[in-house]
Amino acid sequence: MSAGLRTLVALALVARAASGQDPRLAQRLDKPTYVAVNAIVDSARVAKLPTAPLVDKALEGAAKGSDGQKIVSAVHLLSVRMAASRRALGSNATGDEIKAAATALGAGLSARDLARIRTASGKRPVAMPLAVAIDLIGRDVPVATATSLVIQLERSGVKDADFALFQRNVRADIDRGADPTVAATTRARGLVLRSGSAAPKPSE
Amino acid sequence: MRDDDIVNFDEIARELRKPVRVNRSFNERVMDSVLRLPRHARARLWKRLTTPRTVTITPLVWGLAAASLLLFASLGVIHAKEDLHRAAQPIAKALFATPVAATSRAQSVQFVLVAPDAKKVAVVGDFNGWDASHVAYQAQQRGGGVWSVTAPVPVGHHRYSFVVDDSLWVADPTAPRVIDTDYGLPNSAIVVEDDK
Repeated sequence: MSAGLRTLVALALVARAASGQDPRLAQRLDKPTYVAVNAIVDSARVAKLPTAPLVDKALEGAAKGSDGQKIVSAVHLLSVRMAASRRALGSNATGDEIKAAATALGAGLSARDLARIRTASGKRPVAMPLAVAIDLIGRDVPVATATSLVIQLERSGVKDADFALFQRNVRADIDRGADPTVAATTRARGLVLRSGSAAPKPSE
Repeated sequence: MRDDDIVNFDEIARELRKPVRVNRSFNERVMDSVLRLPRHARARLWKRLTTPRTVTITPLVWGLAAASLLLFASLGVIHAKEDLHRAAQPIAKALFATPVAATSRAQSVQFVLVAPDAKKVAVVGDFNGWDASHVAYQAQQRGGGVWSVTAPVPVGHHRYSFVVDDSLWVADPTAPRVIDTDYGLPNSAIVVEDDK
């Protein structure tokens, strides 16, 4: 690509950013929905929240053939959850953490749960622990148990790779017929013992 | 005093009272002499700058001057473009950072669905903008009604689904479902690990 063309592309990107538009939204949404979604995205940008998950949520709705009102409601709800997530996790939370935390709120965790997970993790990122909590809840582990187990694992200093291993093992146990809560609690206890800390309780 | 003397005086006085007629050529000679006197340096410069003159430029000199102007203009434009490009890149990058861009780490993930009657199966998710026409996420029939595709997915937690025959949304039966009632159609969840 020539320097001139690159410059034009960069300028076009800046111009597009300045106008707060994502070309995919214009292609896939009707005009009123597009305007409403753009307004929410612009507000999120001003509030320094990640905008990609909002665009993604709108695209998901368009792909599923949802009506404009439903799409705008879903995008707005996600922006509210992301704002709550950042308040719970702190202003230094990354985009990935905010996105995961917003999904966790949607899965049933509370803002207080998010704050507890953040406190337990110290300075370590919480995107993976939250993803594991969401996964456990999706596999029918009660929200309180999933939250408690993740907090215990965080307090034990478990790293992301071990969280991933824990999630794989729980999934394998459930696939073999184990009760989801028992599988998650047992696997978490084993991981904590291996880390040299006290065994986790099913709920805190 | 004699009368003759008085008459002479009167004549002399009359003659002296007559206006002096200066020769025109004398005037010009005097002014030429004055103009030929050496001037002050600043006056000379001012004279050179303000006196209109005709300048003759050869085609060679004209061409060289034009080439120089063109060269300077081109250098200026190139520098301006580079500066704009440099300035625009981080702005665009910061404002348009998507999860994929933010986490350049991606892993190949195999998606499998058993759909014996399907004519077409695609994977959609938050990693490809929920675009069922995305080329990299079109599943291939492997025989026995098994469809699969191996495609890059960024590290992290993602939601996805299968789209069968461009119309039917099917959650991955081997993955947990995401509690997401926004649009009323099921999604599956996947956690992609960083194998670093």
